[in-house]
Amino acid sequence: MQILVIEDDPEMAHFVQRVLNEAGHTVEAVHDGETGLTMARSMPVDMLIVDRMLPKKNGLDLVREFRDSGGNAPTLFLSALGDVDHRVEGLQAGGDDYLTKPFAPSELVARVEALGRRGGSETPITTLKVGDLEMNLLARTVVRGEESIDLQPREFRLLEFLMRNAGQVVTRTMLLEKVWDYHFDPQTNVIDVHISRLRSKIDKDFDRPLLHTVRGAGYRLQA
Amino acid sequence: MKPTLPAFMRTTTFRLAVVHAVMFLVFTFGLLVYLFYSTAGYMRSESVRELNGEVQALAAAFQAGGMDRLNQTVIERSSVRGPFFYVLLNSEDESISGDFDRMPEAAPEEGSIETNFNYQTLNRNNELETRAANGIIVRLPNKASLMVAYDLSTRTQIVNRITRTVWTALPIGLAMSFIGGLIISRSAARRAEQLTRTTDGIISGDLSRRAPVVGSGDEFDRLSERLNAMLDRLEYLMVTTRHAGDAIAHDLRSPLTRLRNRLEADLRDGETVDRTESIERTIDEVDAVLATFNAILSLSKVQAGTSSRFEEIDLSALTSEMGELYQPAAEDAGLAFAFEIEDDLTIDGDKSLLAQAVTNLLDNAIKYTPEGGALTLRARTTRKGEIELSVTDTGPGIPAEDRERALRRFVRLEASRTRPGNGLGLAMVDAIAKLHQGSFELSDGPGTPPNVGLRAALILPKEV
Repeated sequence: MQILVIEDDPEMAHFVQRVLNEAGHTVEAVHDGETGLTMARSMPVDMLIVDRMLPKKNGLDLVREFRDSGGNAPTLFLSALGDVDHRVEGLQAGGDDYLTKPFAPSELVARVEALGRRGGSETPITTLKVGDLEMNLLARTVVRGEESIDLQPREFRLLEFLMRNAGQVVTRTMLLEKVWDYHFDPQTNVIDVHISRLRSKIDKDFDRPLLHTVRGAGYRLQA
Repeated sequence: MKPTLPAFMRTTTFRLAVVHAVMFLVFTFGLLVYLFYSTAGYMRSESVRELNGEVQALAAAFQAGGMDRLNQTVIERSSVRGPFFYVLLNSEDESISGDFDRMPEAAPEEGSIETNFNYQTLNRNNELETRAANGIIVRLPNKASLMVAYDLSTRTQIVNRITRTVWTALPIGLAMSFIGGLIISRSAARRAEQLTRTTDGIISGDLSRRAPVVGSGDEFDRLSERLNAMLDRLEYLMVTTRHAGDAIAHDLRSPLTRLRNRLEADLRDGETVDRTESIERTIDEVDAVLATFNAILSLSKVQAGTSSRFEEIDLSALTSEMGELYQPAAEDAGLAFAFEIEDDLTIDGDKSLLAQAVTNLLDNAIKYTPEGGALTLRARTTRKGEIELSVTDTGPGIPAEDRERALRRFVRLEASRTRPGNGLGLAMVDAIAKLHQGSFELSDGPGTPPNVGLRAALILPKEV
């Protein structure tokens, strides 16, 4: 992906650039809001990563103006301000996701890839398929091979999120945000337990596991 | 230049007393004017009525017995001592009978006229005195004329007496109202003075000073109560700020110092150190410091009460969701997890913060309750009509004497020192309860010693 990073702290910009380069993306970094907006409008970009507090033009205004002028590249806000308030402001301004500093590199990569994928699928899908695991979104049924799998509503949403991001790492924070809509980190490993329950339902009786743990990062559903 | 008044004249007491006195003066004057006019008017209309009555009676006498009968009646009546005068003249205007020998004014050709006149008479001290009178002159059908008049001096005397009384009473009343004003406003001023002293004490740094509440429930008591509530809040904020400072010093400085020392040691040891391991440990430690730092910030924000998003939230749904989120983790830890969640509990609150509070309580309960224990998440209406949001466990509990301390930031009780955590969890729950005008209570749980258990409950008012 072609990613434009607009971040005034050169160290942070460099860090983001390096992390995303390693993940195989092309990254351009600029350091103030006005240049950022000009670049975003003139350059073909697949994604914007925008700091909230920028010189010359703040991140919220930048994204708002970018959207007003027809820009539709998915946008990820980076900010030291992590309140629900700030998050809501960011999303209202036209951001698609919000990541609070400091963050782990794996978290950044996971979110960027989830966002990049979201931008692609325009037509509504009714079935998700990963290997021999199939989910019917209308009938709300899950089948692996020949066997039908019975899931609780929350487990269904969890699996749906994992399947929509199949092949990519999703972090615990992302799961808590997207599946449960909570924006804080519990001290207990609540998510791990939910994952292990889900795993016991979809992987236990099968030779090839689909749901993998990525050490130090999160989980990945992959055939 | 602003004219300066003597100090005592600038006091509210003095001003109120003056206002009081002036108001009394205006009121008295108004009363006097009203009394004067209403009395005078009444007496006047009364005398006119009586005059008419006399004229009617005399006219009746004339009709019944002609001039002779009238003459006789006039003689009889004028001999009676009273406020009336009579004059009867024949058709040639010669006096026949009555108190005077002529009319004060020429009689009309026909009918009657009313007249005001003065006459002179000897008073009780044999002095000549001029008095006012009001009369009616009637021309009789035989061209004789008759006058009946009423002496106005009684009326004048009464009005004069009233006026005199009021003028005498006025200075006394004025003085009394001024003194009364002083007394009333002095008591108000004393209360104000007490408030001034309280604030002076606070300005000079004694934040424990409180405005006196007498218990009368008047405006001053209400003002004092509000003032005291404000001071409590201020004191709480100051204390928490001071604690935050201490806490940052303690909980951030010591791990940072530790980190620095280790890095220095690693650097000195050079080749013998596993670099990757050193860096990984550094990242972990920095992450822990950052997490603590963020927790301090969030706690301070909640305690300051800024940036919260209040909305109507379905507490039953929120609690069930939290329960559902934690159930697998609890079961994995070998705990029986039960929900007791009442339906349709709603509250005005910050959804994310309340969820955070429940998370902290559940985290703690799971962390401290030994395997085989039980955990209950409750959301219900109490008998007092408040909402209870509680987590009960069968862990070691918190001894009664430590409970208050446990709510302070960074206090980690002995039992928990060895476990992960930053000591902000319960302080956060307490702050969240306070933000919702509620309270946070710790009490014994349903367990048996040594694991008596802990009941941690947020008690929230239904209306915030």
